Amino acid sequence: MAHLRKILFNLMAWSIVLAVAFPLFWMLVTSVKPQFELFRRPPTILPETWTFEHYWTLLADTNFLVYFRNSVILSSATTLLVVAVATLGAYSLVRFKYRGRESLAFLVLFTYLLPSVVLIIPLYLLLVQLGVSNTIFSLVIAYTTFALPYALWLLRSFMAGIPEDLESAALCDGATRMGAFRDIILPQLLPGIISTALFTFILSWNEYLYALVLVNSDSSRPLTTGVMNMLISSFNIEWSLLMAASVMMSVPLIIVFAFLQSYLTRGFGAGGVKG
Amino acid sequence: MSSSNTLLERRYAALGLMLIAPTVLVFCAVIIYPLVSAIYLSFFNIFTPTLEGEWVGLSNYTELLQTGQFWSALGNTLIWTVGTLSLQIIFGIAMALVLHQNIWFRSLARSLILFPYFISTVVAVLVWKWLFNDLYGIMNHLLISAGIIDFPMDFLGTMPNAMVSVILVGAWKYFPFVVIAVLARLQSIPDALYEAAKIDGAGPIARFFDVTLPQLREVLVVIILLRAIWDFKEFDLIFLLTGGGPINDTQTLPLLVYQEAFALNDMGRASAYAVVMMAIMLVFMIVYIRRTRSEEGS
Repeated sequence: MAHLRKILFNLMAWSIVLAVAFPLFWMLVTSVKPQFELFRRPPTILPETWTFEHYWTLLADTNFLVYFRNSVILSSATTLLVVAVATLGAYSLVRFKYRGRESLAFLVLFTYLLPSVVLIIPLYLLLVQLGVSNTIFSLVIAYTTFALPYALWLLRSFMAGIPEDLESAALCDGATRMGAFRDIILPQLLPGIISTALFTFILSWNEYLYALVLVNSDSSRPLTTGVMNMLISSFNIEWSLLMAASVMMSVPLIIVFAFLQSYLTRGFGAGGVKG
Repeated sequence: MSSSNTLLERRYAALGLMLIAPTVLVFCAVIIYPLVSAIYLSFFNIFTPTLEGEWVGLSNYTELLQTGQFWSALGNTLIWTVGTLSLQIIFGIAMALVLHQNIWFRSLARSLILFPYFISTVVAVLVWKWLFNDLYGIMNHLLISAGIIDFPMDFLGTMPNAMVSVILVGAWKYFPFVVIAVLARLQSIPDALYEAAKIDGAGPIARFFDVTLPQLREVLVVIILLRAIWDFKEFDLIFLLTGGGPINDTQTLPLLVYQEAFALNDMGRASAYAVVMMAIMLVFMIVYIRRTRSEEGS
């Protein structure tokens, strides 16, 4: 009886999980079906004919690779900049005493919650005045507005978790403050830095609004607005092609996800919930 | 400061300021300046293509409070936020309870549940638009073969379908956040509490209400505040799914700001909308920040 209940519970649990994951399964299936099979009634659950033609079309006949390259450059640059600045900032906020430190921490949390639509108009005007609008660089600047508070907040809680004794011991042994930072803090903080970097990368990879407003040339468009444009500008919507684009766009996330899941959940606990 | 201020302490303070300097610099340039500037711009009429403007004082604010579009957008924002947030919370807690049990391939199940949260909103929207497609979408096919509807349904082009669809897709995309947060908390509830309840003769449902829910209370308050703030300011999902349509029936405040600034070309008015929106959010933000700070203090 207990055995049967266990099996029933498992079946129920897994049918919910599969229902939640169904849209993603359908995205994969659609992307490998030939165009004519999409219009079959009733629809085929698994493709009758497997084809990778949409992936080839995507890579050869569209701007997808340009968008992909732009997204890689944009997200990596944002991540590098933000993590470097935020690591030093978080160290200062947690381990040093000076006037205004508390208000700064408060400001970080406030900006972390701030909506982008409030900042976007002045940022747009600023970047136009500086003459850098329509470039990847302008997006890096815009992305720091949400990535930096986020990274600071995450790293701050990771930093607070490192015992202070280690650093004090090094200082007693005659290490300088920055020496102790390099030799003691950084190695301890590394897992925190990795998960912060991953989260910042994912946030930048997925961002849409700033990319929509600040960039309107194909040569510097990232994936989000680029792929969306393929939907809007196409005369005859090719769903297989769009699903192939969606899959390709999610590949970096799947890789990050599969290999570094423990880092991700750690970051999630530190920043998202404990606050 | 105190009299025991040694040379070393002062040098440390200086070093601390140096380390935070890049952060402060970036903050001032890309956050503080635009924020102040947004408030300043809301007193102007600015024509977006030429960026020329004139001072109009408070008239943007008095006008927006009189226009129906602002109030209907505020109403839509509230419907969307309350609707999607309640689904996220209920479904998130339920899913966390299921995943907390020892089911087959638990870590695979967890990854599958987390995935909607990590994919781009653009991907989520494209997939759902295809699922919702009126002629060849699988949703219509499933609903018709189950006998629930007779004709294909227009999920995004009519009301109230559009609002319901947006709320459901929002719940699907963001409930994993609740799942992870609740799951982490569930794992830290001591087993002894459950054992004690069992000895007292409490069944599974009584154990949920008497042990689990009180233990989850703290974390749920934080989750609800955070998700309320994030759902309130959500732009991508709604903009990409419906664009605020049909007519303006799913237009929320962030979409209204965007439309005013970049489609109707009045940046001054748009800034006024944005400032009012931020003022409303400020209530939640202050509650959340005060909570976080008092937690850190204790």
